Amino acid sequence: MSYSVTSSLDRALNVLSESMGQGRVVAGATDLFLKSLSPELVDVSSVPELLGINRDHGSLSIGAGVTHAEAAASPLIRLEAMALAEACRQVGSPQIRNIGTIGGNVVNAAPAADAAVALVALGARAVLIDLGKRQHHAAVEELYADYNLSTVDSSSEILLRFLLDLPARDEGSAFLRFAPRQALSLPLVNAAARVRLKGDAIESVRAVIAPVNPAPTRLYETEKMLLGSWPEDDTWRKVEYTAASEVEVRGSLLRCSAGYRQHLVGVLARRVLKKAVERAVKSRMGGDGS
Amino acid sequence: MKEQVISFELNREKVEIYADPALSLLRLLRSRFNLIGTKEGCGRGDCGVCTVLLDGRAVNSCLIPAGKVEGRKVLTIEGVTREGLEKGAKVHPVQQAFIDKGAIQCGFCTPGMIMSAYALLRDKPFPSPEEVREAISGNLCRCSGYKQIEEAILEAAKAITEQEGKW
Amino acid sequence: MDKKREPVSKTARSDAAINQGPEVWAKAAGKALYGVDLHFPGMLYGKILRSPYPHARIKKIDPSGAYAIPGVRAVLTAADIINKPYGIVVEDEQPLAHDRVRYIGDEVAAVAAVDEESAGKALRAIKVDYEPLPAVYDPVEALGEGAIQIHDHFPGNIAWERDMERGDPQRAFAEADLVVENSFSIPSVHPTYLEPVACVTDSDYMNNLTIHTALQSPDVVRVIIAGALDLPLSKVRILGPVMGGGFGGRVYGNLKLYILSSLLSMNAGAPVKMKLTREEEFTVGRPMIAARMKVRMALRNDGTFLARESEIITDNGAYSAQAPWVSKTLSERNDSVYRIPNIKTRARLAYTNKVPTAQYRAYGNQAANYAYESLIDQAAEKLGIDPLQLRLKNCTRSGDVTVHGLKITSCALSECLQEAAKRIGWNNRTEGRGYGISAGIHASGSLVADRSFRGASARAVLELDGRVSVFTGEQDYGQGTYGAFVRIAARVLGLDPQLLSIYCRDSLVTPHSQGALANRQTTIGGRAVQLAAEELKKVVEEAASENAGEQFKMEGGHLVSISGKEMGLDEVARYHHYRTSGLTLNGEGRYVPPPADYDETSYGNISVTYSFAAHAAEVEVDQDTGSLIVRRIVAVHDSGQIVNPQAACGQVFGGVTQGLGFGCYEGYIFDRGAVASSSLADYRIPTALDVSCIDYHFIETDDAAGPFGAKGLGEVVQVPVPGAIANAVADATGARVTDLPITAEKIFQAMSEGGCG
Repeated sequence: MSYSVTSSLDRALNVLSESMGQGRVVAGATDLFLKSLSPELVDVSSVPELLGINRDHGSLSIGAGVTHAEAAASPLIRLEAMALAEACRQVGSPQIRNIGTIGGNVVNAAPAADAAVALVALGARAVLIDLGKRQHHAAVEELYADYNLSTVDSSSEILLRFLLDLPARDEGSAFLRFAPRQALSLPLVNAAARVRLKGDAIESVRAVIAPVNPAPTRLYETEKMLLGSWPEDDTWRKVEYTAASEVEVRGSLLRCSAGYRQHLVGVLARRVLKKAVERAVKSRMGGDGS
Repeated sequence: MKEQVISFELNREKVEIYADPALSLLRLLRSRFNLIGTKEGCGRGDCGVCTVLLDGRAVNSCLIPAGKVEGRKVLTIEGVTREGLEKGAKVHPVQQAFIDKGAIQCGFCTPGMIMSAYALLRDKPFPSPEEVREAISGNLCRCSGYKQIEEAILEAAKAITEQEGKW
Repeated sequence: MDKKREPVSKTARSDAAINQGPEVWAKAAGKALYGVDLHFPGMLYGKILRSPYPHARIKKIDPSGAYAIPGVRAVLTAADIINKPYGIVVEDEQPLAHDRVRYIGDEVAAVAAVDEESAGKALRAIKVDYEPLPAVYDPVEALGEGAIQIHDHFPGNIAWERDMERGDPQRAFAEADLVVENSFSIPSVHPTYLEPVACVTDSDYMNNLTIHTALQSPDVVRVIIAGALDLPLSKVRILGPVMGGGFGGRVYGNLKLYILSSLLSMNAGAPVKMKLTREEEFTVGRPMIAARMKVRMALRNDGTFLARESEIITDNGAYSAQAPWVSKTLSERNDSVYRIPNIKTRARLAYTNKVPTAQYRAYGNQAANYAYESLIDQAAEKLGIDPLQLRLKNCTRSGDVTVHGLKITSCALSECLQEAAKRIGWNNRTEGRGYGISAGIHASGSLVADRSFRGASARAVLELDGRVSVFTGEQDYGQGTYGAFVRIAARVLGLDPQLLSIYCRDSLVTPHSQGALANRQTTIGGRAVQLAAEELKKVVEEAASENAGEQFKMEGGHLVSISGKEMGLDEVARYHHYRTSGLTLNGEGRYVPPPADYDETSYGNISVTYSFAAHAAEVEVDQDTGSLIVRRIVAVHDSGQIVNPQAACGQVFGGVTQGLGFGCYEGYIFDRGAVASSSLADYRIPTALDVSCIDYHFIETDDAAGPFGAKGLGEVVQVPVPGAIANAVADATGARVTDLPITAEKIFQAMSEGGCG
């Protein structure tokens, strides 16, 4: 029954092994007091393999232990994965951002977790390591078992890093959230998109919305609609309509009605896609994409 | 959880304490170290009243397990006050600015606010008003409407700059 | 009054520690002690067992299991204590429930133990047998046929009601050129002071009880607690630690907590600390009443207000506390903002099986203001008259006696409206933005909190070192009250404010006071301080003259004789001290304002004087989502002469931001009797990124009543904000939101229904 802090990945894995299912890794640990405790906790927030933001063979590699504040301020993330920087910038409060990690955001599996939404839009893959020191990859959207329940078993595996394809020059990404207050607020809806242009058309697009399901949700119909052409005013109206119709939304007593949320899904999908396209255009023309 | 030894730096002094690592840092500071300057407003990270610095960054101490501070540096409002006294002032310039600008009414949000301001000014010595508001966006205040607090922090930035290198 | 005199604020040195009180240093340094910081040797921790049902009969309570828990020192149920009924307006509460619980959270048992964990275990060991009863949550339903009776002595669940008529409203409506009407709904709101309520009670073996807790009206609470505990008043002492915000929520605080804590202490023979968690502040702490208002107005085509009729239902919760008084203010205060000769109001306060209510700054005034000011704009639109002009045409003026008999001795409301309009750019609008305006009134020195105790007293004492101490029962929790008092006394005595101290927060030595409510502390409390200082000056001069054998006068803080001799204040203090074997030179100030002369229909003057305000708002609405940005709020106030400008500024920023919260963010959300919005994440107050740009201006009228012409500011600051914002939103979108808070969803809904403007 202990809380140990280590900066050795091997030691962390050993503690988990020895705890035989009774242990758990924590990073920011902000959810500790809001959920029940495991008897054996291993704090991996200073393990080097979970830290750092760097380019790695055509991918952007972000440590799972990187905090929201670090991600939001990182010049590399702002350059190559703007949607993630934007998502991290608006979470909670400066205090929350200073301690909450991107990995924690995904493993907590909250349906409207901002960083997770951006990661899915960016096509990020999680790198996990098990007790046998074997690594495997999984798309972030595959890590959700149910509402607030991750497929990641924190007693036997550690989420190390996220890998995203570095964007080409014709790419842009964006993130938007709609919340009742400008800070210290969970979002009613958040949306993220990553777009690549080719010539006068959208070559590929990933559009993600939350919270409508346990996991951040791709707007496949909306994406299909945008592929292969250049979006005009009319397209954007259709985007709004399609996005709102292709998801099933729930209302809640404390947040908003289902109807309003559905409407917001449409508006935010339209706005975030438009912004991603604009950034792709700017990037193509040599702008910094911001 | 079972108590264990936790060694860390508290207000620039090395300390060691035998405590439950699952106790929140807030409770550790208040009940084990008798440092009651850090307040509890909600216990859930919703108000910022419990803000302290962990390795120079503002965090909600109610959300930090005591075990997490092992080997790290914690700074509380008492540490800021002492810094002021040790450098020959009555209080630290941030605290002085809060007093001078009428930024303190009931005072309950004040320690947390000052810690957020202190962290900001270490990171950005010349913040814009927007950056100040962003830095205190996780600190609720019910009395003041934030305006005089914002002015105090901008004033403190000026004062610290004028006292070149002292702070 | 001498019109050429300099306002106090301009002569005094601008020293922040004076403005905010000397505690400001401790607050900045993290050394200020609030209730929850107090710690005493042998102190126990108290906890309360609460009902999980909104309405139930208690069949049996078995506390025996709790006694067996190690570390438990006292276990109380209704059977173990006197359990006298008590209350503020009606005595409908008892310290512990004995046969019935009426809301989720109703107090059933209390324990004290050596630590919180043991106390928690003890609670879990108490077995209570409940028989759930049908519950009613909606006040309209509670007043309806066949609703379950919540209190035996209040048939029909009517906690209070009032039918009020002035003039001949029926005729006025019949003769009107225009009648406008609408229904509005205002939810319960919580004062949301950042320091949750906490107390330490300490009873010695002779039942001399000391209660350490921060209160806005400790002397009033002391009387209630002594009564509830059946103790002589002299055995109850209240010592106030620093207060982490009040805003009306700490006028009586959480009486239950103090009473139960005291009983535990008396039983256990040790100090007992009790506190509420933030969640408990929302679930069992007391919000302000919710209100439903059906209102209509009659006007002439030229815009003259003829009549107004209101049907008001307010939600009491399970027990009354101050709700009848708040309902009363809500139902009548705004009738005096304008000249409206005919009024008809039917107001009823309904018991429901929900958390009981208390009060909040402005006492319901702001809730009704939102409804009435919205309706005025509706009328303006129908008549084609500028909403500003419509208000100017009808607004109350100096010298008026309003429809309820309020005597307006000074009033700059018309000037406030014009100034607010000018500063917001009323005639110089930005494309795409909406503009709204609202006007409000509040009592400054209300005389009706306790009709027989309507004034204040203070004592000014000359210390042996020549400094002056002022003893006051008034409470400062950061509003700058003590700063104002120091400046007032310093001005009278001609002394540097640095030489004055305030003695406060100890019921044993400070004069009894009604406390920080009813906007009375500056007007009435300050007046008493002024009189005390004047009296002290007189006795000091007399003593000096006696000492020297020639006439001495005190000018500019110095004692000087006719022949030019000087005497230090410390010298005259010591002289008196020795000749009387230990007494000090004292000045007692007694301010007894003329009584509120109101009759059984509540017609009459209820306050020493009145403060006025006009607020204007500039907003932007996102047409796609209804999302609202309140860009600017202009607050123009007539609070007489401003004695403590730095603090006044703080009051405006703070109060207007609270108004912004009330209008756009806050409101209790219930889920069948349970408070669903029970955290600061779900009950949202504005953060630093949500505040509007606030511009303020004081129009300093000269009112004879207050000290040096000062009038209250603390409550009226909040009043016109929600109405101004609502009107601005309607201007921006053509759609009106008729229930608070004005959220994006509601704006969007209103726009979708009514079309965009």
